[in-house]
Amino acid sequence: MNESFDELQQLAGEYVLGTLSLAQRQEVTRRLPLEPVLRLAVEAWEQRLLPLTALVEEQQPSPQLWPRIVKDLRSGVVALPAGWRSWWSDLRFWRMLTAGGFAVATVFAVMFVIRPPAPASAPAFMVVLVEPQDRIPGWIVQASADRQITLTPLRPISVPEQNALQFWTKADGWAGPVSLGLVQPGKSLKLALDKLPPLQANQLFEITLEPSTGSLTGKPSGPVLYIGKAVKMT
Amino acid sequence: MPTILPADSDSFDYDAALRACARGDQQALKSIYLQDSRRLLGVALRIVRQHHLAEDVLHDAFVNIWNKAASFDASRGAGRGWIYSVVRHQALNMVREREREVYADEETVEAIQNENGASVVDQFELNASLGKLHDCLSHLDSAKRNSILSAYVDGCSHSEIAQRLQAPLGSVKAWVKRGLAALRECMG
Repeated sequence: MNESFDELQQLAGEYVLGTLSLAQRQEVTRRLPLEPVLRLAVEAWEQRLLPLTALVEEQQPSPQLWPRIVKDLRSGVVALPAGWRSWWSDLRFWRMLTAGGFAVATVFAVMFVIRPPAPASAPAFMVVLVEPQDRIPGWIVQASADRQITLTPLRPISVPEQNALQFWTKADGWAGPVSLGLVQPGKSLKLALDKLPPLQANQLFEITLEPSTGSLTGKPSGPVLYIGKAVKMT
Repeated sequence: MPTILPADSDSFDYDAALRACARGDQQALKSIYLQDSRRLLGVALRIVRQHHLAEDVLHDAFVNIWNKAASFDASRGAGRGWIYSVVRHQALNMVREREREVYADEETVEAIQNENGASVVDQFELNASLGKLHDCLSHLDSAKRNSILSAYVDGCSHSEIAQRLQAPLGSVKAWVKRGLAALRECMG
């Protein structure tokens, strides 16, 4: 992973060209979301070589192809509960979200398709949990001033039978993440955080894939499916 | 970088279409499909070599485009390139996963060659619409140029290029490497 700049360019070039082995391709795919320099190098190569696609003869797709695609599109975003409008119209939220390094356009896109019901009391903290690779928002965490938190799914997710989703949080200075329990796919969850220290800005929340009874080690042991940091709302 | 595109893709706003996809607008995805599915299928077919596999690639790629549209940063104005890259990588993953265990049968290969009428290398000679890329590729010696074109357009691995060009594997790897380095220098 410690290539020189030229080696990184070479890797990016061969990735786009297609001459990497499957294992090397998968390694680049894994690194892309984590390494902006590699990502920029790949994007530059995609742009450089794109004109070569004009060398290819067009082919007529079969009439069944489009209906097949439509059938497999994930349906839109589910409606969110109360409390939404109060912060989505708040400019400060967007500023903080940007400062937090989230893909704002992503969240914006999700929000635009949601028509919120009447606002409730404003949450004190907000967390958008996104997929680590694609930054697609999957869940929203809202924490009220009285430390009630609500976890709300934004889209359906399927979980293998022998697995479960486990919800965790960790603030700066904590030894490790603390389990907030198992989460049902597609279901909202309300919790009281009264056993924990008060929520902090930038406190980490994540959902991992664990054995059906939860992590056996008491710490996250499976892949992180969604992750995000708390943004103060008031 | 000036890129010459087919006339009708000049006016199509790929970035706006992707933004609409991100909002859940299926018509926007369909507009991309109507605009580019024929060329995208051509791109996929050259790499996976069989029509039904190319359609599978396009299917998966469009589902991916739909799911990932929200994560694409349309502000950088590279929507068309992004769509093509999703399709190409889908196709490349498929052939690398199979690593040619499913070789295109003789008939398919012949059919593609007949349809296209010319090899990729000949087409390159005929096609001056590649802008600066054309100039930069022209400056490469033919071994490097053919290695790069065989890889990008036909999805050839190093060893397939070696077979095609009747050259040792080590030479092909060096040609690809030096060819890419020269292209980067030439194109910036």
